[in-house]
Amino acid sequence: MDFQAIHDRLRAVAAPGLVSADLPRKPDPKVKKDKGRAGDPFVLVEAQRLVEFLEVCRDDDRLKFEQLIDLSATDPAKDDAQLWINVQLLSLKFRHRLAIKCLLPKAAPSMPSTVPVYRASQWHERECAEMFGITFVGHPDPRNILLPDDWVGSPMRKDYEFPKEYHGISCE
Amino acid sequence: MTRETQSTPAASTRVQRLGAGEVSVDIRTPDLEINFGPQHPATHGVMRILMRADGELVTGAQPHLGYLHRCAEKIGENVEWLQYLPYTDRYDYLASMNNNLGYSLAVEALLGVEIPRRATLIRIICAELNRIGSHLVAFGTYGLDIGAFTPFLYTFREREWMMALFEKICGARLTYSYIRIGGLFNDAPPGWFEEVSRFCDVFEQKWQEYVDLLLVNQIYVKRTANIGIISREMALDFGLTGTMVRGSGIDWDLRRDMPYMCYDEIWRSGAFKIPVARGEMGALGDCWDRSWVRVMEMIESIKIVRWCLDNMVEGPVIADIPKTLKVPLGEAYVGIENPRGELGHYVVSDGGKVSIRTRVRGPSFCNLAVLEDILPGSLVGDAIAIIGSTDIVVGETDR
Amino acid sequence: MNFFLEGIYQTVGEHLPMWLMMLIAAVTGIAVVLGMVSLIAMFSVWLERKVSGHIQCRYGPMYVGWHGWLQSIADGVKLLLKEDMIPRDADRALFMLAPGLVLAAILGAFAAYPLSPGIWFGDIDLGVFMIIAFSSMTTIGVVMAGWASNSKWTIYGSMREAAQVVAYEIPLGISLLVPVMVAGTFNLREASALQADWFGMKWFLFTNPFMLPAFVLFFIAALAETKRAPFDLPEAESELVAGFMTEYSGIRWSFFFMEEYAAMFLMSALGAVFFLGGFESPLTHFAGEFFGRDLVVVGAGGAKELNFAAIPYHLVAAVTLIAKCFFGVFLMMWLRWTLPRVRIDQVMTMGYKYLTPLSLLCVLGAALWEAGKHALFAS
Repeated sequence: MDFQAIHDRLRAVAAPGLVSADLPRKPDPKVKKDKGRAGDPFVLVEAQRLVEFLEVCRDDDRLKFEQLIDLSATDPAKDDAQLWINVQLLSLKFRHRLAIKCLLPKAAPSMPSTVPVYRASQWHERECAEMFGITFVGHPDPRNILLPDDWVGSPMRKDYEFPKEYHGISCE
Repeated sequence: MTRETQSTPAASTRVQRLGAGEVSVDIRTPDLEINFGPQHPATHGVMRILMRADGELVTGAQPHLGYLHRCAEKIGENVEWLQYLPYTDRYDYLASMNNNLGYSLAVEALLGVEIPRRATLIRIICAELNRIGSHLVAFGTYGLDIGAFTPFLYTFREREWMMALFEKICGARLTYSYIRIGGLFNDAPPGWFEEVSRFCDVFEQKWQEYVDLLLVNQIYVKRTANIGIISREMALDFGLTGTMVRGSGIDWDLRRDMPYMCYDEIWRSGAFKIPVARGEMGALGDCWDRSWVRVMEMIESIKIVRWCLDNMVEGPVIADIPKTLKVPLGEAYVGIENPRGELGHYVVSDGGKVSIRTRVRGPSFCNLAVLEDILPGSLVGDAIAIIGSTDIVVGETDR
Repeated sequence: MNFFLEGIYQTVGEHLPMWLMMLIAAVTGIAVVLGMVSLIAMFSVWLERKVSGHIQCRYGPMYVGWHGWLQSIADGVKLLLKEDMIPRDADRALFMLAPGLVLAAILGAFAAYPLSPGIWFGDIDLGVFMIIAFSSMTTIGVVMAGWASNSKWTIYGSMREAAQVVAYEIPLGISLLVPVMVAGTFNLREASALQADWFGMKWFLFTNPFMLPAFVLFFIAALAETKRAPFDLPEAESELVAGFMTEYSGIRWSFFFMEEYAAMFLMSALGAVFFLGGFESPLTHFAGEFFGRDLVVVGAGGAKELNFAAIPYHLVAAVTLIAKCFFGVFLMMWLRWTLPRVRIDQVMTMGYKYLTPLSLLCVLGAALWEAGKHALFAS
């Protein structure tokens, strides 16, 4: 299925948390300074209902997204108030992909863990948690994965300030 | 503290002196905790697995990553699009061409440029040759893990030639940065295609050597069959990709099922097949199946290279893109079939010279997560075989 | 060494006190054994590197001497000059003792090795028994080393060694019983002499149909006994870093190495003497015919005299045995660089469930064959 068909199906089954679809478009010559949008289409989903949404995606017999390929986050800009959660789903049976985006407030980023739906997200969530400071409620093993256990701060945030030293080792 | 030690006066005074709250370490005698790595011959880099073992039996395993973390994703947000390319070489350093390709395709998806056909074909040749090289290392070092030293050097003999080929085409032997955004760094030198063709002929003969010497060796089969079994459900649930899912009997290959470049054309011409494990030597999804898939894939890659050589066209090798690249606003995710699985690049651009997010979905990282589940219950010797069969590159798990 | 001492005794013996003779005997014996073991180890290390190199499409050492034949000496000097490191938490006494014990055990086993039909360190009636007993003593040293190093990998290595050697002593001993039974002696020199017929080709291997399976079983068990691949689990470098010798370095580490090669040589010697004719070959046979065999002859006046004319025969015999031994060593190397390693449970299964019953069957079969032969042809 292409993206439009997937989106229609998601609408048809009333997938919980589905907000809207975002498609790439050519720059509109009538609108001044419109750059358009390149790349892939994605669906926007409420972060707090992502787990239920993923469950529908996985179990619906016309979507059958058996695999969660990727779960990551993005900090779009320093002055942006929101973080993005980006999820890539893949259906081996129907050979289609779905990109999902959720918005989380930067001030207190917290959302339910998706591990009960896809175990693949276990390590991805750990990485997101340490890199972006997102709390995944109900994660079975919420330790740091790439960073040391005593690392302070969320390095992938745009406003992250690099430490001057680490355990007496100068970083400058 | 066990009851016996508490009853002895010396121990009880020690507990009193320390205070009850300070005795936090539970001294366990039945299980042995082994720090497998970060420096260990079989971790293929600097990975650490905290193993709990009861004699020779592994009862628990916990991978600890991050010893090779080099902030690749953060660097991606701080350098220009083209400047990031050399960094892609360095996460999966055994398949740098494929990494270059994945990143280039992702950025090209945003740019929407048309890649010249000659560039596409040379890209496929390079990617497939590098796949062969990567599988050679995977298979050779797997033999080393099992205890067979010689096949390792045999595989390196062919890999050496493959690297010499790459050296001729781009000057580098390991970190190529040859596949650029928009095409290739330069055209192949004269006589290069003929040498690739010779390599294919020789490789097919040598390939039989590995099969005879190691793959069907009885000791090898006994060591790898029926251990580290990953079921279909598990493979899907853990998001395994590439050789790992095919080793579990799932017929899935991005080159055929979600084709990029001109792989669909090659597939339709019937040039190559997708080897899918059938559980010949034991249960489906065991270590032998995974290594079998890798060995068989090498020969399929040779066929793809041959197809590209036969259908080579003349023409430019790079599209017309500016030196200082400005990528239009938007986001794209491109996953390609790396030797280890799906290498995904998720790039976000705000229309400027620098990306605002370069997410790398490394296949090794995802494939490694399954270890926690399949290691317990195996023997220490098997644990090494299982870790080897996942074929991880630590540069990629840690990025 | 008896030849050498006999010479001294004949010339100056009457003027020396007994204790001095004993001392000279002991010192020469030890010196020769030590020199021999070192030479064997050095040569084997070089051979292993060359064999592995050529199997793996490389050259191996090439720079020190012709085709690198002095490489082992260079390495030996390097190992001697290396810093002697003992881990802080190791049991110092045991840690230092273990390599010595390992080496001492194998040196002791060499006492039963006959240099030639007439030259020996000790003409021991229970030679086989002694070699097996001493070479299994090395296990104690290995376990000691593993324990004293205070590292988890070394413990694994030494426990595997203990389990494995105990399991494979049994088929090793039993499969050796087959030729011992046919020969009727435990003495290596005598067993070799019994194979001198058929122009030096009446090897035990050819005299009884159960000898070949017994030899194969013996060879497999010897591989496990000397911890050679595919049974190199105690030091399995990809699993246990370096097994029981993980914490060792320098000359102490090289003791383990020397022991390994000496043990390989000795096991091959056992195989050569009891299956492959020992000193005997057509060449030895004709050398014996030509030069005479006895080193010590009784002269006209009833006094013992040394017969130097027979020395070429003894040289030929000695070289024959050494060549056979190194053939065995070469086979072991060949296997090591070809086969993957088996798993510990497979090692134990193979030892207890297959090799032991099969070797017992071989003993039974060989005994029945010999009895039948005796009943049919004796009268």
